[in-house]
Amino acid sequence: MTAGSGLPHEFQYADASHQANTAIAGMWLFLATEVLLFGGLILCWIYSRHWNPVGFDAGARQTALWIGTLNTALLITSSFLYALGVAFMRVGNARALIHCLVLTLMLALAFLVLKFGLEYRDDFARHLFPTATRFALTGAEAAGGRLFFIFYFLGTGLHGIHMLVGMGLLVWIIRRARRGEFSPQYYTPVEVVGLYWSFVDLVWLTLYPLIYLVGRG
Amino acid sequence: MSVQSPKQSLRTEVARLVRLWVLLLLVGAVEFGASFLPLGHLGRPLIMIPAIAMIGLVAFGFMNVTKGPVIVRTFAVAALFWLLILLALGSVDPLTRVNYTVPTPDQR
Repeated sequence: MTAGSGLPHEFQYADASHQANTAIAGMWLFLATEVLLFGGLILCWIYSRHWNPVGFDAGARQTALWIGTLNTALLITSSFLYALGVAFMRVGNARALIHCLVLTLMLALAFLVLKFGLEYRDDFARHLFPTATRFALTGAEAAGGRLFFIFYFLGTGLHGIHMLVGMGLLVWIIRRARRGEFSPQYYTPVEVVGLYWSFVDLVWLTLYPLIYLVGRG
Repeated sequence: MSVQSPKQSLRTEVARLVRLWVLLLLVGAVEFGASFLPLGHLGRPLIMIPAIAMIGLVAFGFMNVTKGPVIVRTFAVAALFWLLILLALGSVDPLTRVNYTVPTPDQR
Protein backbone atom coordinates (compact mmCIF):
# COMPACT_ATOMS: atom_id res chain seq x y z
CA MET A 1 0.00 0.00 0.00
CA THR A 2 1.35 3.40 -0.90
CA ALA A 3 -1.05 5.62 0.96
CA GLY A 4 -2.44 5.53 4.46
CA SER A 5 -5.70 6.87 5.83
CA GLY A 6 -6.09 10.64 6.05
CA LEU A 7 -4.61 11.27 2.60
CA PRO A 8 -6.78 12.86 -0.12
CA HIS A 9 -8.61 10.44 -2.41
CA GLU A 10 -11.38 10.39 -5.01
CA PHE A 11 -14.93 10.24 -3.65
CA GLN A 12 -15.67 6.70 -4.87
CA TYR A 13 -12.93 5.13 -2.72
CA ALA A 14 -13.11 4.39 0.99
CA ASP A 15 -9.61 5.80 1.55
CA ALA A 16 -6.33 6.54 -0.26
CA SER A 17 -5.04 2.98 0.12
CA HIS A 18 -8.24 1.67 -1.48
CA GLN A 19 -7.60 4.02 -4.42
CA ALA A 20 -3.97 2.90 -4.69
CA ASN A 21 -4.88 -0.81 -4.59
CA THR A 22 -7.54 -0.27 -7.26
CA ALA A 23 -5.01 1.43 -9.56
CA ILE A 24 -2.53 -1.43 -9.08
CA ALA A 25 -5.24 -4.07 -9.64
CA GLY A 26 -6.38 -2.18 -12.76
CA MET A 27 -2.89 -2.35 -14.24
CA TRP A 28 -2.69 -6.09 -13.49
CA LEU A 29 -6.02 -6.63 -15.25
CA PHE A 30 -4.70 -4.73 -18.28
CA LEU A 31 -1.52 -6.84 -18.21
CA ALA A 32 -3.67 -10.01 -18.12
CA THR A 33 -5.25 -8.93 -21.43
CA GLU A 34 -1.78 -8.24 -22.81
CA VAL A 35 -0.71 -11.78 -21.89
CA LEU A 36 -3.48 -13.09 -24.15
CA LEU A 37 -2.46 -10.72 -26.97
CA PHE A 38 1.10 -12.02 -26.91
CA GLY A 39 -0.22 -15.56 -26.27
CA GLY A 40 -1.72 -15.53 -29.77
CA LEU A 41 1.69 -14.61 -31.13
CA ILE A 42 3.35 -17.52 -29.26
CA LEU A 43 0.71 -19.87 -30.67
CA CYS A 44 1.62 -18.64 -34.18
CA TRP A 45 5.24 -19.54 -33.41
CA ILE A 46 4.26 -23.08 -32.30
CA TYR A 47 2.11 -23.61 -35.40
CA SER A 48 4.57 -22.15 -37.91
CA ARG A 49 7.62 -23.95 -36.53
CA HIS A 50 5.79 -27.27 -36.27
CA TRP A 51 4.73 -27.31 -39.94
CA ASN A 52 7.87 -25.67 -41.36
CA PRO A 53 10.74 -26.77 -39.07
CA VAL A 54 13.60 -26.54 -41.59
CA GLY A 55 12.81 -23.11 -43.01
CA PHE A 56 11.68 -21.68 -39.67
CA ASP A 57 14.95 -22.64 -37.95
CA ALA A 58 16.94 -21.46 -40.99
CA GLY A 59 15.24 -18.08 -40.55
CA ALA A 60 16.17 -18.00 -36.85
CA ARG A 61 19.82 -18.59 -37.75
CA GLN A 62 19.78 -15.37 -39.83
CA THR A 63 19.08 -13.18 -36.78
CA ALA A 64 21.78 -11.12 -35.03
CA LEU A 65 22.34 -13.14 -31.84
CA TRP A 66 24.66 -10.58 -30.25
CA ILE A 67 22.10 -7.78 -30.57
CA GLY A 68 19.31 -9.95 -29.11
CA THR A 69 21.52 -11.04 -26.20
CA LEU A 70 22.78 -7.53 -25.46
CA ASN A 71 19.22 -6.19 -25.60
CA THR A 72 18.12 -8.85 -23.09
CA ALA A 73 20.80 -7.68 -20.64
CA LEU A 74 19.78 -4.05 -21.24
CA LEU A 75 16.11 -4.72 -20.49
CA ILE A 76 16.85 -6.81 -17.38
CA THR A 77 19.06 -3.98 -16.09
CA SER A 78 16.38 -1.39 -16.90
CA SER A 79 13.79 -3.33 -14.87
CA PHE A 80 16.29 -3.58 -12.01
CA LEU A 81 16.92 0.18 -12.12
CA TYR A 82 13.20 0.93 -12.12
CA ALA A 83 12.63 -1.33 -9.10
CA LEU A 84 15.58 0.41 -7.41
CA GLY A 85 13.91 3.77 -8.08
CA VAL A 86 10.67 2.56 -6.46
CA ALA A 87 12.68 1.44 -3.40
CA PHE A 88 14.24 4.92 -3.14
CA MET A 89 10.85 6.60 -3.51
CA ARG A 90 9.47 4.43 -0.71
CA VAL A 91 11.86 6.22 1.69
CA GLY A 92 11.18 9.64 0.13
CA ASN A 93 14.29 9.99 -2.05
CA ALA A 94 12.72 11.46 -5.21
CA ARG A 95 16.11 12.61 -6.52
CA ALA A 96 17.42 9.01 -6.58
CA LEU A 97 14.16 7.92 -8.23
CA ILE A 98 14.70 10.45 -11.03
CA HIS A 99 18.32 9.28 -11.52
CA CYS A 100 17.20 5.65 -11.74
CA LEU A 101 14.42 6.44 -14.20
CA VAL A 102 16.70 8.55 -16.44
CA LEU A 103 19.12 5.59 -16.58
CA THR A 104 16.18 3.27 -17.33
CA LEU A 105 15.16 5.59 -20.17
CA MET A 106 18.70 5.63 -21.58
CA LEU A 107 18.86 1.82 -21.57
CA ALA A 108 15.48 1.69 -23.32
CA LEU A 109 16.78 4.12 -25.94
CA ALA A 110 19.90 1.98 -26.43
CA PHE A 111 17.62 -1.06 -26.90
CA LEU A 112 15.60 0.69 -29.60
CA VAL A 113 18.71 1.99 -31.40
CA LEU A 114 20.19 -1.52 -31.47
CA LYS A 115 16.90 -3.12 -32.51
CA PHE A 116 15.50 -0.70 -35.07
CA GLY A 117 18.56 1.37 -35.99
CA LEU A 118 21.01 -1.49 -36.42
CA GLU A 119 19.29 -4.88 -36.56
CA TYR A 120 16.27 -3.94 -38.69
CA ARG A 121 18.49 -2.00 -41.11
CA ASP A 122 20.74 -5.04 -41.48
CA ASP A 123 17.71 -7.33 -41.93
CA PHE A 124 16.36 -5.16 -44.75
CA ALA A 125 19.79 -4.93 -46.39
CA ARG A 126 20.07 -8.74 -46.32
CA HIS A 127 16.60 -9.17 -47.93
CA LEU A 128 15.07 -10.78 -44.86
CA PHE A 129 11.77 -8.89 -44.94
CA PRO A 130 9.14 -11.61 -45.65
CA THR A 131 7.69 -9.87 -48.72
CA ALA A 132 11.09 -9.15 -50.29
CA THR A 133 11.15 -10.16 -53.97
CA ARG A 134 14.72 -11.48 -53.58
CA PHE A 135 14.15 -13.11 -50.18
CA ALA A 136 17.45 -14.33 -48.70
CA LEU A 137 16.31 -17.91 -48.09
CA THR A 138 15.56 -20.06 -51.11
CA GLY A 139 14.40 -23.60 -51.95
CA ALA A 140 12.96 -25.70 -49.14
CA GLU A 141 13.82 -22.99 -46.59
CA ALA A 142 11.96 -20.14 -48.29
CA ALA A 143 8.38 -20.75 -47.08
CA GLY A 144 9.31 -21.45 -43.45
CA GLY A 145 11.87 -18.63 -43.52
CA ARG A 146 9.23 -16.15 -44.63
CA LEU A 147 6.90 -17.35 -41.85
CA PHE A 148 9.69 -16.91 -39.31
CA PHE A 149 10.32 -13.34 -40.40
CA ILE A 150 6.59 -12.53 -40.29
CA PHE A 151 6.70 -13.68 -36.65
CA TYR A 152 9.97 -11.80 -36.08
CA PHE A 153 8.82 -8.44 -37.44
CA LEU A 154 5.35 -8.70 -35.88
CA GLY A 155 6.70 -9.76 -32.47
CA THR A 156 9.56 -7.29 -32.25
CA GLY A 157 7.45 -4.51 -33.79
CA LEU A 158 4.65 -5.03 -31.28
CA HIS A 159 7.18 -5.16 -28.46
CA GLY A 160 8.82 -1.98 -29.79
CA ILE A 161 5.47 -0.14 -29.72
CA HIS A 162 5.03 -1.23 -26.10
CA MET A 163 8.52 0.07 -25.33
CA LEU A 164 7.72 3.46 -26.88
CA VAL A 165 4.56 3.69 -24.75
CA GLY A 166 6.62 2.71 -21.70
CA MET A 167 9.23 5.36 -22.47
CA GLY A 168 6.48 7.97 -22.72
CA LEU A 169 5.23 6.86 -19.31
CA LEU A 170 8.78 7.05 -17.91
CA VAL A 171 9.08 10.66 -19.08
CA TRP A 172 5.69 11.41 -17.47
CA ILE A 173 6.82 9.92 -14.14
CA ILE A 174 10.16 11.79 -14.27
CA ARG A 175 8.36 15.10 -14.88
CA ARG A 176 5.93 14.49 -12.02
CA ALA A 177 8.77 13.48 -9.71
CA ARG A 178 10.68 16.66 -10.62
CA ARG A 179 7.59 18.69 -9.70
CA GLY A 180 7.65 17.02 -6.28
CA GLU A 181 4.31 15.26 -6.71
CA PHE A 182 5.42 12.02 -5.04
CA SER A 183 6.10 11.25 -1.41
CA PRO A 184 6.61 8.10 0.71
CA GLN A 185 2.82 8.26 1.34
CA TYR A 186 1.85 8.67 -2.32
CA TYR A 187 3.73 7.15 -5.26
CA THR A 188 1.07 4.91 -6.82
CA PRO A 189 1.76 6.07 -10.44
CA VAL A 190 5.44 5.11 -9.98
CA GLU A 191 4.40 1.60 -8.93
CA VAL A 192 1.80 1.22 -11.68
CA VAL A 193 4.18 2.30 -14.46
CA GLY A 194 6.82 0.00 -12.94
CA LEU A 195 4.45 -2.95 -13.41
CA TYR A 196 4.02 -2.03 -17.08
CA TRP A 197 7.78 -1.63 -17.56
CA SER A 198 8.51 -5.04 -16.02
CA PHE A 199 5.83 -6.57 -18.27
CA VAL A 200 7.60 -5.16 -21.34
CA ASP A 201 10.69 -6.93 -19.98
CA LEU A 202 8.71 -10.20 -19.57
CA VAL A 203 7.55 -10.05 -23.18
CA TRP A 204 11.13 -9.68 -24.37
CA LEU A 205 12.29 -12.55 -22.11
CA THR A 206 9.75 -14.70 -24.00
CA LEU A 207 10.56 -13.40 -27.49
CA TYR A 208 14.36 -13.65 -27.06
CA PRO A 209 14.58 -17.49 -26.97
CA LEU A 210 11.76 -17.91 -29.53
CA ILE A 211 13.52 -15.67 -32.04
CA TYR A 212 17.23 -16.06 -31.39
CA LEU A 213 17.89 -19.32 -29.53
CA VAL A 214 15.50 -22.20 -30.23
CA GLY A 215 16.19 -22.29 -33.99
CA ARG A 216 19.96 -22.27 -33.56
CA GLY A 217 22.26 -25.23 -32.94
CA MET B 1 10.01 -9.31 14.69
CA SER B 2 12.05 -6.11 14.92
CA VAL B 3 10.93 -3.02 12.99
CA GLN B 4 13.59 -1.70 10.58
CA SER B 5 14.37 1.98 10.18
CA PRO B 6 13.73 3.44 6.67
CA LYS B 7 17.50 3.44 6.02
CA GLN B 8 17.86 -0.20 7.05
CA SER B 9 14.85 -1.29 5.03
CA LEU B 10 16.22 0.56 1.98
CA ARG B 11 19.58 -1.20 2.39
CA THR B 12 17.82 -4.59 2.66
CA GLU B 13 15.69 -3.87 -0.40
CA VAL B 14 18.65 -2.66 -2.49
CA ALA B 15 20.64 -5.80 -1.55
CA ARG B 16 17.67 -7.98 -2.54
CA LEU B 17 17.29 -6.22 -5.90
CA VAL B 18 21.02 -6.47 -6.68
CA ARG B 19 20.96 -10.22 -5.90
CA LEU B 20 17.94 -10.63 -8.15
CA TRP B 21 19.57 -8.67 -10.99
CA VAL B 22 22.76 -10.79 -10.81
CA LEU B 23 20.66 -13.98 -10.67
CA LEU B 24 18.68 -12.91 -13.75
CA LEU B 25 21.89 -12.23 -15.69
CA LEU B 26 23.26 -15.64 -14.62
CA VAL B 27 20.11 -17.51 -15.68
CA GLY B 28 20.22 -15.52 -18.94
CA ALA B 29 23.81 -16.70 -19.47
CA VAL B 30 22.71 -20.32 -18.84
CA GLU B 31 19.93 -19.88 -21.41
CA PHE B 32 22.37 -18.44 -23.93
CA GLY B 33 24.85 -21.30 -23.30
CA ALA B 34 22.11 -23.95 -23.55
CA SER B 35 21.26 -22.73 -27.06
CA PHE B 36 24.59 -24.19 -28.27
CA LEU B 37 23.81 -27.70 -26.95
CA PRO B 38 22.93 -30.36 -29.54
CA LEU B 39 19.33 -30.89 -28.36
CA GLY B 40 17.75 -31.93 -31.63
CA HIS B 41 14.72 -30.36 -33.30
CA LEU B 42 12.18 -31.56 -30.73
CA GLY B 43 14.42 -30.90 -27.72
CA ARG B 44 15.27 -27.32 -28.60
CA PRO B 45 12.11 -25.78 -27.06
CA LEU B 46 13.61 -26.95 -23.72
CA ILE B 47 15.72 -23.78 -23.99
CA MET B 48 12.53 -22.02 -22.85
CA ILE B 49 12.95 -23.47 -19.32
CA PRO B 50 15.53 -20.84 -18.21
CA ALA B 51 13.32 -18.18 -19.87
CA ILE B 52 10.33 -19.32 -17.78
CA ALA B 53 12.53 -19.16 -14.66
CA MET B 54 13.53 -15.59 -15.56
CA ILE B 55 9.88 -14.61 -16.10
CA GLY B 56 9.10 -16.01 -12.63
CA LEU B 57 11.99 -14.05 -11.08
CA VAL B 58 10.78 -10.78 -12.65
CA ALA B 59 7.12 -11.41 -11.69
CA PHE B 60 7.92 -12.27 -8.08
CA GLY B 61 11.02 -10.10 -7.58
CA PHE B 62 10.34 -6.88 -9.48
CA MET B 63 6.55 -6.91 -9.90
CA ASN B 64 5.91 -8.25 -6.37
CA VAL B 65 2.92 -10.28 -7.51
CA THR B 66 2.52 -11.86 -4.05
CA LYS B 67 2.60 -8.57 -2.13
CA GLY B 68 -0.37 -6.79 -3.72
CA PRO B 69 -4.06 -7.20 -2.86
CA VAL B 70 -5.68 -10.63 -3.41
CA ILE B 71 -7.32 -9.43 -6.63
CA VAL B 72 -3.83 -8.90 -8.13
CA ARG B 73 -2.95 -12.57 -7.59
CA THR B 74 -6.33 -13.53 -9.03
CA PHE B 75 -5.65 -11.53 -12.22
CA ALA B 76 -2.13 -12.97 -12.51
CA VAL B 77 -3.33 -16.57 -12.05
CA ALA B 78 -6.24 -15.98 -14.46
CA ALA B 79 -3.85 -14.62 -17.10
CA LEU B 80 -1.62 -17.68 -16.74
CA PHE B 81 -4.62 -20.02 -16.80
CA TRP B 82 -6.10 -18.56 -19.99
CA LEU B 83 -2.66 -18.47 -21.62
CA LEU B 84 -2.27 -22.19 -20.89
CA ILE B 85 -5.77 -22.88 -22.26
CA LEU B 86 -4.93 -20.89 -25.42
CA LEU B 87 -1.59 -22.61 -25.99
CA ALA B 88 -2.77 -26.11 -25.01
CA LEU B 89 -5.96 -26.14 -27.12
CA GLY B 90 -4.24 -24.31 -29.97
CA SER B 91 -1.35 -26.81 -30.03
CA VAL B 92 -3.49 -29.94 -29.95
CA ASP B 93 -4.02 -29.96 -33.71
CA PRO B 94 -0.41 -29.48 -34.90
CA LEU B 95 0.97 -31.87 -32.27
CA THR B 96 -1.51 -34.71 -32.87
CA ARG B 97 -2.51 -34.48 -36.53
CA VAL B 98 -1.31 -37.35 -38.73
CA ASN B 99 -0.66 -36.41 -42.33
CA TYR B 100 -1.25 -39.23 -44.77
CA THR B 101 0.41 -39.01 -48.17
CA VAL B 102 -1.95 -38.82 -51.13
CA PRO B 103 -1.38 -41.87 -53.38
CA THR B 104 -0.31 -41.09 -56.91
CA PRO B 105 -2.48 -42.45 -59.78
CA ASP B 106 -0.18 -45.44 -60.39
CA GLN B 107 -0.28 -46.34 -56.65
CA ARG B 108 -4.08 -46.52 -56.61
